[in-house]
Parts: sequence; structure tokens; C-alpha cells
Amino acid sequence: MTVTRSNVLINSVARERYVRGVTLLKAEFTGPTTADLGIAGPSRPVSTYDLFVVWHHTAMSTMTPPTQDDRNAAHRGPVFCPWHRFMLYQLELNFQRVLDDDTFGLPYWDWAADGQQSAARQRRSALWNARTLGGSGNPVRTGPFRYNAGDPTSFRVRIDADVNGQLVQRDRGLRRSLGSQIATLPRKSDTAGTLGLTPYDTEPWSTSSAGFRNRLEGWAPPAAPALHNRVHVWVGGDMLPSSSPNDPVFYLNHCNVDRIWEAWLDRNGRRYLPLQSASVSLRGHRINDHMSSLISASMRPSDVLDMRSIYVYDSLAV
Amino acid sequence: MPAKRTAMPPTAASIASYVERNAAHVKQTQQHRHHAADSLREATYQGHHIVVRTHYEIEVDGRSLIGHMGVTNDGHVHYHPVPNMSFASAIDLVKELINIFPDDFTKKTSRRKRGARRKK
Repeated sequence: MTVTRSNVLINSVARERYVRGVTLLKAEFTGPTTADLGIAGPSRPVSTYDLFVVWHHTAMSTMTPPTQDDRNAAHRGPVFCPWHRFMLYQLELNFQRVLDDDTFGLPYWDWAADGQQSAARQRRSALWNARTLGGSGNPVRTGPFRYNAGDPTSFRVRIDADVNGQLVQRDRGLRRSLGSQIATLPRKSDTAGTLGLTPYDTEPWSTSSAGFRNRLEGWAPPAAPALHNRVHVWVGGDMLPSSSPNDPVFYLNHCNVDRIWEAWLDRNGRRYLPLQSASVSLRGHRINDHMSSLISASMRPSDVLDMRSIYVYDSLAV
Repeated sequence: MPAKRTAMPPTAASIASYVERNAAHVKQTQQHRHHAADSLREATYQGHHIVVRTHYEIEVDGRSLIGHMGVTNDGHVHYHPVPNMSFASAIDLVKELINIFPDDFTKKTSRRKRGARRKK
């Protein structure tokens, strides 16, 4: 069945199911423990939601190849788009499972639409009210992911990355600081400006590259941090470190990033670079290389180039 | 062209099984310690090959920061535990780390000026 991914601010059913799914996955423990994953402290079970946090952190701690310090197994190189598509696909399958709803499609946050507003209005977007995700806070005290020290069932950050890039155990509320590090979100002219950029990626296949991927990821001009990176920095708090999937808005951001990539593919053809004939130094980024995985069998960029039999977006007007 | 391969629907058991299979790599990344960062930047200009080697060791309050750090060809520094930002300087980077990781930096209280008397 082909599911539809829709705008989180328009489709209230998808929004409510998304919040419900996050809550269910935070409360599901399939067996792996912090000790199994080399996380210091007393051994505690790790929730399915938190396994995605671990997966994201581990992928970006894996340099590709280890002899350089720019490109990693999920970011700063060509695999950025397909790896996050793979991650979202796994998340969506798990949402469908715990919701017992195979029609569920992940919603996306059209942040460039918010970016058309004034800086003040961006912080007051409906996404951040108590009926949606809640707002800023240290900890966040509004919305479905608010923290209540006296309620063990309230949303908690259990695992995050410390300043040295190590996964550590925590027991605290979510942190956000909307518009503090950087005042505004990307605009529609920024997202639309990516669609005509070709090729998908090019040498040196890093944060210095021209092409679509580096612009969408947010390292290329104008005004880095841009696009995807800018959204992380604008939300702030737990969206800044490598354990950023701790904030449920992470997936709404990346679903929009994936939507932009889908719009690019639709316009420019289902093409990906680098090809498999590229240098072995690009292992992990070539079209048929297996991508970093944790909770499932791996997939390759070629496996996720055309997902239209699995999901479609309600609109590709990015 | 449809997706070449779709994923098997996950189950609690399949998740546990794959995590067990991949846990060794997670543990390996937990062992990473970078007490110093050595960056190598190279460029070719008018037929001349340029190599710039940079060595960073960072301390805050006498304690080493051991996350993976790098320098790109445009001179910006980046720090892997903060993956979406780059910084014009290492000092700017570390100032931001103190903001981003409050659990890892004990808040410093202001010190009385030398010779100032405590009010009775």
C-alpha cells in the first residue's frame, strides 16, 4: 500500500498519530540495553525510539573513510539524502507497527513556509503551541513532550551525546531554544533554489561540493548554516548535538528534507552520484554501497531512489 | 522504476536481533578518543601543491575535549558532536560548546574582586 506523507500543520490526524507513535516507541523496550551498546553507567533497557538516537549518532561518528575528518556515514557527503530516507522509512514502518495502522505516513514540517513570516511569528508558529509539539524550554514544559519530574511517564531524554561525542545516560526533559542561535528559518526562495541545481553531488563529495546535496544539507552558500542545517540550529537545544533525534521535530524536519529531494528527483530524474565505479575512498556513499544500519538490514542508495510505490507526498511544492 | 528492495516489516524480535548484530560497531565508536586533532588540507594552485597541517589540542578549565574535530579548506573548524555547525575559529567553537552542553560544564560563579570585603 502506498501511504501519503502530509503537512503536519494541515493534517491533524497525521499530527495526532505522530505524537501517539512517538509516545508508544518511547515506551517500547525490545531487549537491547545501554550495556549492550557500550554506554557507561548502570545497564538499562533502551527504548525503540532511543535506538534511533543511537543509530543516528553512531552513523555520524563513523568517518568515511577513517583517514579524513569531513565526510561521515550519514552527513557531509552524498549519502546524506539516501541515509536519512532509509532512517525515515524504518521509523515509518515502526510507527505503522505500534499504531497498528499500515496507512500511516510520516508528516513533514514545511519550515520554509514558516520562514516566510517575520522572525517573531516564526517562533509563534502553530507547530510550537501546546496542541502540537510544545515550545521552547529547558526543559520544555508545554505540549505532548513536556517534562514533569514527578511523572515518570512524561517525556524524557534518556540518552544523548556529551561534549566529547560519547553517548551517555540522562534523565531530563527535552530542551529547545527557538530562534536563539539564529533568528530565522530558511525561506521558499532557498528551497526552490535547490531544485535546478545539478548534479546531485560532485567532487570533492564533502562540505565543499557544488551541486544539490550540499546545498540542501546546508553547507553551501548562501549564508551557512542554510536549509537543513539552519533548521537544526534555529530549533536549538537538543537539535544541536549528534543525538538530535531526541527531539521529535527532528523527523518532521527530515521528512521535509526528503520531500525536497523527492521534488528534485521528480524534476531531474532518479539519478544519484557517485556511481559504484567511483573510488573505494567513497565507500559508504556510492550508489550500491550498504548504508550504516542498526535496527534492520541495511539498504543501498539505489534501493531508495524511487520510493513511490511505498510513499508519496501530498505536495511537492517545496 | 519502483524501489528495488523494500524493507521487511520490523518486529520487536527483529529489532533486538539486528541491534545485537550491530552493537559491536556502536561500542567501537564509543571508544573514540581524540586528545588531539590533526587536520591535513591540500590544494593545487597554478601547478603548485599546497599542504597545510594543523594540530589542535583543546582544554577547558584544564580538562581536554576529546571529540573529533576537523578543519575544512576554507579554514572553518567543525566538531563532530555538533554536526550542523561550523565555526570561524576554534575559540568560537569552544565558546559555543559551553552553551550547547550545559551538563558537561559546571557553571562558574563570578569571583569577588581581589581585596573586596564581604558585607557584614
